[in-house]
Amino acid sequence: MSFKWIWTYIRPYGLIMLLGLVLVLITSGLAMVNPFMSGMIVDKVIEASQTHLLWSIIAVMVITTLVKSVGRYAYQLIFETVSQGVFKKIREDIYNKIQTLDFDFFNKNRTGDIMAKMTGDMEAVRHFIAWVIYMVFENATIFIFAVTMLFITNAPLALFMVAITPVTGFFAVRLAKEVKPTFFAIREQFSRLNTVVQENISGNRVVKAFAKEGYEIEKFERENEAYREKNVASAQVWSKFLPIIDALASSLMVAMILVGGILVINGSMSLGELVTFNGFLWALNNPMRMVGWLINDTQRFVASAEKVMGLLESEPKITPNEDAVQKDRIRGSVEFCHVGFSYGDEKVLEDISFTAEPGQTVAIIGPTGAGKSTLLNLICRFYDCTEGAIYIDGTDIRQMDLKLLRESIASAMQDVFLFSDTIEGNIAYGVPGATEEQIQWAAQMAGAHEFISTFEEGYDTIVGERGVGLSGGQKQRIALARALLKNPSILILDDTTSSVDSETEHRIHSSLKSYYRDKTTFIIAHRISSVKNADMILVLDEGRIIEQGTHDELLAQKGYYYSVFQNQFGDFDSFISKEVG
Amino acid sequence: MARNKYDVDEELDTPFNRQHMKRLLGYVQPYKKRMMMAVGLMLVSSIAGMATPYLLSVGIDVFIPQKNISGLVLLAFVLLVTLIITALCFRHRLVIMSDVGQSIIRDIRSDIFRKLQKLPFEYYDSRPHGKILVRVVNYVNSLSDLLSNGLVNMITDLFTLFVIIGYMLFLDPRLTLVSLAGLPPLVLAIFLVKGIQRKRTQAVSRKQSNLNAYIHESICGIKVTQAFAREEENFKIFRELSTEYRKTWMAYVRSIFIMWPIIENISVWAVSLVYVAGISLLGTGASVGILVAFVGYIWRFWTPIINLGNFYNALINSMAYLERIFETIDEVPKVDNLPSATEMPTIQGKVVFDNVTFSYDDGYPILKNMSFTIEKGQTVALVGPTGAGKTTVVNLLSRFYNVDSGKVLIDDVDISQVTLESLRKQMGIMLQDTFIFSGTIMDNIRYSRLDATDEEVIAAAKAVCAHEFISSLKDGYYTEVNERGTRLSVGQRQLISFARSLLADPRILILDEATSSIDTKTELALQQGLETLLKGRTSFVIAHRLSTIKNASVIFYIDRGRIIEAGTHEELMKKRGAYYNLYTAQYSFLEAV
Ligand SMILES: Nc1ncnc2c1ncn2[C@@H]1O[C@H](COP(=O)(O)OP(=O)(O)OP(=O)(O)O)[C@@H](O)[C@H]1O
Ligand SMILES: Nc1ncnc2c1ncn2[C@@H]1O[C@H](COP(=O)(O)OP(=O)(O)OP(=O)(O)O)[C@@H](O)[C@H]1O
Ligand SMILES: [Mg+2]
Ligand SMILES: [Mg+2]
Repeated sequence: MSFKWIWTYIRPYGLIMLLGLVLVLITSGLAMVNPFMSGMIVDKVIEASQTHLLWSIIAVMVITTLVKSVGRYAYQLIFETVSQGVFKKIREDIYNKIQTLDFDFFNKNRTGDIMAKMTGDMEAVRHFIAWVIYMVFENATIFIFAVTMLFITNAPLALFMVAITPVTGFFAVRLAKEVKPTFFAIREQFSRLNTVVQENISGNRVVKAFAKEGYEIEKFERENEAYREKNVASAQVWSKFLPIIDALASSLMVAMILVGGILVINGSMSLGELVTFNGFLWALNNPMRMVGWLINDTQRFVASAEKVMGLLESEPKITPNEDAVQKDRIRGSVEFCHVGFSYGDEKVLEDISFTAEPGQTVAIIGPTGAGKSTLLNLICRFYDCTEGAIYIDGTDIRQMDLKLLRESIASAMQDVFLFSDTIEGNIAYGVPGATEEQIQWAAQMAGAHEFISTFEEGYDTIVGERGVGLSGGQKQRIALARALLKNPSILILDDTTSSVDSETEHRIHSSLKSYYRDKTTFIIAHRISSVKNADMILVLDEGRIIEQGTHDELLAQKGYYYSVFQNQFGDFDSFISKEVG
Repeated sequence: MARNKYDVDEELDTPFNRQHMKRLLGYVQPYKKRMMMAVGLMLVSSIAGMATPYLLSVGIDVFIPQKNISGLVLLAFVLLVTLIITALCFRHRLVIMSDVGQSIIRDIRSDIFRKLQKLPFEYYDSRPHGKILVRVVNYVNSLSDLLSNGLVNMITDLFTLFVIIGYMLFLDPRLTLVSLAGLPPLVLAIFLVKGIQRKRTQAVSRKQSNLNAYIHESICGIKVTQAFAREEENFKIFRELSTEYRKTWMAYVRSIFIMWPIIENISVWAVSLVYVAGISLLGTGASVGILVAFVGYIWRFWTPIINLGNFYNALINSMAYLERIFETIDEVPKVDNLPSATEMPTIQGKVVFDNVTFSYDDGYPILKNMSFTIEKGQTVALVGPTGAGKTTVVNLLSRFYNVDSGKVLIDDVDISQVTLESLRKQMGIMLQDTFIFSGTIMDNIRYSRLDATDEEVIAAAKAVCAHEFISSLKDGYYTEVNERGTRLSVGQRQLISFARSLLADPRILILDEATSSIDTKTELALQQGLETLLKGRTSFVIAHRLSTIKNASVIFYIDRGRIIEAGTHEELMKKRGAYYNLYTAQYSFLEAV
């Protein structure tokens, strides 16, 4: 299976690969020349004193070596080129795959594990193409050449020696069988090790905050030691077989001297033939020795290839609709129609219905874990709703072109993620071609321009992993600017100003008023001040809409919204009276 | 601070030197005995191996002409014995060497990981995490072969080489000199390509690091990528990095593979020279037998040289990784225990900032001459515009960074004089960016105090009003949350990390925007429960929702790195200054109606 898979990648390089194999064939053939020439020098030049032949023999030796070494260099490069080509293609295929996989996949798979596949496993795959394939071929050709030569020299003895091959084959097969699971174990452990280290690095602040370095080291050492053990366990297996295979290869020598000797004594073989036999023995020996190593590397490849294939074969549940309704632009009317959603069997949203027209602002408020973010995730189709349907401009979003849908929506998510790139690059993330003016405009709208300008390198300041180097509120505003720059039809602001002080927040909201005009805007917030001016406020609790209306309507209802208002502003009246009085 | 990103090569700070080799050998040191044993085994098997041609020649020269079949059988038997000895030696060597090699790898990895635990925030802030990750895992792995088989083979190859030279000298010193004539050009060739090889392997490791950093970040930021439909643009960048990597790789193999043809050709020249010289010397003491034996040895002589060439390639290859690994191990933590550091005694809770100035980047002070005193048991609120430096203040208190000038004192002890662990163990810090580990909710809360009982964990969860939602989950406290807690809502993550900080039972509690994503009702309920917990403890609270800090013993209004107002809520409201404006700002929209 792994071989079929890798073949589909190698096939485009078929021709050049063939050329490589031809070169292997030629150089293997040339490898037979020098031992032959050495014999010539002894037989002809020294014994027969044909000194004039010396120079030509040497010339032949030097030239064949030159040709051989150049040939070898050439095919090594050919195989490297092919393997790098294949390697690059697989890597890019994985990358593309990763980009199409949905949230569900990333909730279930750890970064460290995916990284393990893209580094360690890919390396095993590369090694296989770059090295194992030509080594197999090189050794096979040498072996075949040698066998042919031997048969020509003396068929009965040759037959006797080749008879050992099946025994070697038997052990080779056993090795392949027994060593395979150990390589699977190694790569599983590799992935675990990767995950532990990855998580430790990304959580380094928490580790230090609680002075838990000791605990982390303990955790790491467990995996580290296990990784060592898995490797040693694997070595236990192959170290059982490799010496046997090796000894079998050497036993050819024993067979040769015993059987060959008897044949010579019998007179059915000449001494010279035996010496020639001896000369070609290495060409029989070496390939047999290599069998064990090559099997090892191949099984390592199989273990890794299966992981890589697994990744390439994972299918997102959310797929771009092939026969999507074609549209140029989304206006932005959003309708939820009895929408229900559950993560697995945990119900999160139930019977959500509402309609938002372009230009309207819908605010969502509600307790922690009520399902607010989930609701907005459904609009972007990060998940598909499990009941009911969502319509945008009257079309079920599952019938729409996924790319168009996402291009028409911009969201500033609740857990802000910035890339380690310049501030400019981060703001322009959704619009890679944006001009400097546009970027500055977006930053201004998001209330970020001011602080960015105070930085030494301004918009070219590089932020660290996930936005390290910026304060919490600064990160949020960059993420907001990133969303604004996209100029979408639907804007989603999920708790975007939670780390921003009220003054700044107020400024941002007033400057955004004109921006909202032609867009459908969704705002999730806990502060009444952020949601108050919305055209419609949805109060979400345990996945249901429990109140719906404008600020004033909801206040009049004296329900959840009213009590939140009281909590936040209950002292307003007393405050005012104190101020006045 | 110069930050690195995915498309910026990391230049190496430490130049390559022999020191690296020495250090590497230092890792081998503890396994010296077993290494020696492996070398011993190797020698036994190679001596046994060298006997083969001799035994063979006995057979051909003696038994066959004598038609001595029983002699041949005996010979075969002896050969079989050497063969078994070789196999046994081989087997043990494999076991020993994989064990030693893997142990060395483990030790190096352990050292680099331990160092990473010591490195302060600043280290992690200034480079993509993907680049750190590959150093610990992949780079270290790439050393494994070099350190196990590579090393043993090198030792035995060197040994073989000397044995062969010995034999050759014994046979004919003149011819030996002739055959060694190949060595100078070889050395010259190695010398010439070495520089190029080194540069190119370094380039490969740099590009690889960039590529991995980009992959890593792409995975971490996938949700943003999809939300912004940026897949195509990212792929373009990735392809560029990937192509660049391939280019440097090909350049690298071109320079590495060139060693083979060089050695092969030089060796054939050397052999030819020996033939020419040997034949012209034939009359003067060199016999045919000697010449034949000699040539046989020359071919053997080049095998270890070729092996050494391969070893050298592997070494060059690993060196690029080794340099990175040692660079990390050698990194001097900017924040570290002083040699004279003492244990921080049990903290009572008095905190003093004495004229503290601090900057993340030299020349850009974030905090300027900040001074304040907080008495034991007080609750201090830090408020102010975003980016003012509130988080920075609490970062300094835990000594995540060192102050530029001035002092931070806790109970009149300068915190730079005590060990980091003893200091941080007594603090409960809830960072502004919540981080949840993959694992169960129970383990996540317990992280701050590993010996806490289940009941204590649950009590902490109850105190932050998280118990209710946790118990509503199917597996309750044993629910597995994903990496970074993506299985939970953001507010829920905050509650869990809040509970974690409380469970630490800290002497000083620091809450940086602990409830920014939590609804008002939960927040209020939480606050009431908290009051009893905070009693007697010094605590720092940062919040933008001012209702949460109104009852603080003292409120600092921080603006651009300075405390511009300090006092209780009532005092500051009376003052009608910055705090008053901030406080009334939350009402301003009401008036705007
Ligand atoms: N690791 C860092 N490296 C460099 N600069 C930093 C780093 N962390 C913060 N800064 C800068 O220091 C200043 C103060 O940041 P700080 O995080 O202390 O603000 P804050 O008052 O906590 O703001 P917020 O309320 O938004 O969280 C900001 O201008 C920020 O850009
Ligand atoms: N990937 C997931 N798998 C399973 N359950 C999930 C997942 N993500 C969220 N949940 C659960 O779904 C519920 C709703 O989460 P959601 O993030 O929508 O809440 P929210 O209203 O946005 O809360 P907050 O105000 O804290 O952000 C929560 O109980 C949460 O635990
Ligand atoms: Mg949410
Ligand atoms: Mg902060």
